[in-house]
Amino acid sequence: MSTVAERSAARKRALLEEKVLDELDDRLGSSKWLRSALDKVFPDHWSFMVGEIAMYSFVILIVTGVYLALFYSPSSAVVVYHGPYRPLDGQKMTQAFESVVNLSFSVRAGLVMRQAHHWAANIFLAAVAFHMGRVFFTGAFRKPRELNWTIGLTLLIVAMLEGFSGYSLPDDLLSGSGLRVVFSIIQSIPFVGVWLAFTLWGGAFPGTSVFFTRLFVIHEFLFPLILLGLLGAHLGMLWHQKHTDFPGPGKTEHNIVGSRLWPQYAVKSAALLTFIAAVIFGLGGFVQINPIWVYGPYNPARGSAGTQPDWYVGWLDGALRLWPHWEFRSFGHEIANPFFPGILLPGIVFTAMYAWPAIDRRLFADYGEHNLLDRPRDKPLRTAVGVAALFFFADLTVASATDLIGNALNVSFELLIEILQYGSFVAPIVAGVVAYKVCVLLQVQNAHPIQRPVGGVMVRDARGAFHTLGAEHAHAAPEGNGHEAAADSEETALEAAGGEPAPG
Amino acid sequence: MTSHSTSRPRILAGPAALVAVALALFSVLVWALPAPAQPKSQLKTSQSGASQSGVSKVAAGTVARGAKTLGTVKVSTDPAVITAGQQLYNLHCESCHGPGGVGAKAPQLLDVGPAAVDFMLTTGRMPLNSVTQQPLPGTPYFNKTEIAEIVAYINFVDVSHGTPGVGIPTVPPSCTKESATCPTLSEGNELFLMNCSQCHDASGAGGMLSHGYVVPSLRQATKRQIAEAIRVGPRPMPGFGPGQLTNQEVAAIADYVYYLTHSGNRGGFGIANFGPVPEGFVAIIFGLGLLLLVARVIGNRG
Repeated sequence: MSTVAERSAARKRALLEEKVLDELDDRLGSSKWLRSALDKVFPDHWSFMVGEIAMYSFVILIVTGVYLALFYSPSSAVVVYHGPYRPLDGQKMTQAFESVVNLSFSVRAGLVMRQAHHWAANIFLAAVAFHMGRVFFTGAFRKPRELNWTIGLTLLIVAMLEGFSGYSLPDDLLSGSGLRVVFSIIQSIPFVGVWLAFTLWGGAFPGTSVFFTRLFVIHEFLFPLILLGLLGAHLGMLWHQKHTDFPGPGKTEHNIVGSRLWPQYAVKSAALLTFIAAVIFGLGGFVQINPIWVYGPYNPARGSAGTQPDWYVGWLDGALRLWPHWEFRSFGHEIANPFFPGILLPGIVFTAMYAWPAIDRRLFADYGEHNLLDRPRDKPLRTAVGVAALFFFADLTVASATDLIGNALNVSFELLIEILQYGSFVAPIVAGVVAYKVCVLLQVQNAHPIQRPVGGVMVRDARGAFHTLGAEHAHAAPEGNGHEAAADSEETALEAAGGEPAPG
Repeated sequence: MTSHSTSRPRILAGPAALVAVALALFSVLVWALPAPAQPKSQLKTSQSGASQSGVSKVAAGTVARGAKTLGTVKVSTDPAVITAGQQLYNLHCESCHGPGGVGAKAPQLLDVGPAAVDFMLTTGRMPLNSVTQQPLPGTPYFNKTEIAEIVAYINFVDVSHGTPGVGIPTVPPSCTKESATCPTLSEGNELFLMNCSQCHDASGAGGMLSHGYVVPSLRQATKRQIAEAIRVGPRPMPGFGPGQLTNQEVAAIADYVYYLTHSGNRGGFGIANFGPVPEGFVAIIFGLGLLLLVARVIGNRG
């Protein structure tokens, strides 16, 4: 099968590995732990790698963020700009804004790093959301992994806040407009809102000199440290509890089928990292994002059409746009309107998400431990709830782009708002019902939603004849669609759930 | 046999996904490509009418702030040209604007002046199919000569009526090259962000007003058209008179808008210059989409 040269190269590699590990072991006595760590088995399904996309995006965020922090100046002191971008020449601006313009135009690789940082943030949140959807629809949050669902959800919320604080740092027109909205939302909290807003900003909007220092410390140290800590806990718990997997031939509640960490999975993961870096820096180099010099320094008297937050805050912006102009008054006090879409709605949404594992347990009267995943079709009710939630978020996100959609389609803004107001509850209900029906149909037909069932793996033997492995599995165990039937000793290893790894 | 037929769709699923993603990428790219640059000849056309004296007057205004006269394009008073304009008017405009511009279904034209007529015709806003439509920029219906003739006719009507209206303003030569000869750029930037970006977007990409009014993009606008629009106020846009924006300030805004839309996007494709919404779209569809495809190639499918 392999050539002499290949075999000798493999032998050399093995010797080198052994030497390096011996050196380490002599000093740390770590061989036992390292051996078991390197032998750890990870399931190979592609959808399990989305969490890794998020993790590596976060790594790129840290690397680019450190570079940006070298040049950013968190100061609201007013300076006069004299730099290469002539439309701003001679204008007064805060030192914060000036430092970001200089970072973009005068620092070597500054613009590509800043754009890569911003693209990485958008992709990070997209990957987190996708990963969360995967965990939800496959029931990976079930016992014993409820705590990790909670940690992951907290990661999402902190990442959203981190993203928003980064969006606010440059002190351009978009930043200032966004902060103005958030200031008002915080002010709308009954009883404490005004005090809270004034405390955070150090005074009335747009805040005193302390504000940018605070924002910088929050974005640069506080939230990243929280994210790192939560990520560590998230991964540590995953390591300890082991990964879930789809049911399939050879897979039980007590084993894991997949690749060992070293070398197969490490190579796959490294390949993914390089692709992620390529996509993020490719976007950073070729596609413009947040051109702050076009928006200009923030000035409360100015405004721009098409002022939106980044996509992951878009659903809250949309909620503000869709919420009717109702007024709630009692005992001479009014609860300000932005409170409902700006505080109450995300409060309800996130509470429901935190509570979902408990709701799910009661809903399906299933209190047992699960290491094998559900196929979304097998739990139609859960899938319907998830699809409804996605349509709800999509409706609100679209609502944050009503002005752009109106412009593009030449449709009245008011009509769009009205459609989306009704859509915010009609679309989830309709989509949920459709999803439920589709799940039931798929259960009956036992078909893959986008591809037909796979019979098995075709191999060619030494004499040139073709054989199909696992065709009998396709008949014996229909739920094993597409899973490799035979454990290939090169690629697959079995690990008993709590014991020593079985020989591959 | 069964295994052959059942395994075929699996082979097809990969290419199908690739084609779908390729289509998505293509649509994103088409969207992301910058709008075609204004042909140079057209730019010259827009300023060919500008008399050199008009240019120098505004240039002088840069030094002496608040010059009282704005440079205007001379409108023909040749009776032959006016008659030709009247014929075109009777064919294409009279049905709504009434005989001699007295107004009917559409507003009267007795005091609009050459700037308004030139703006409406060179941007392709007029003639409209229906008076209920919002006039939006498009391909001009008339050629350069015909527009000059209609302008001459309406100017004749307005002058005869004793209300000549706003003349066609001239603006200094364009300022797209990086040089120190454009002191007005910064002033134009400040004025644009203070007066225009609320509706037209800081990038000039346009937006939306209430009651279904569209705010057009400024990308195709010439400097002359920008100055005309500021002075005339093509509804629902308000007009800005000399008391609100001086001649020099109008020239500075036109200069900056032209710079904004013609100096290229620093940092790569502008993705329609609409800000965070298309950015999020690209991040999710292009960025994450590509990475999901990579994960699918690296990981197992089943």
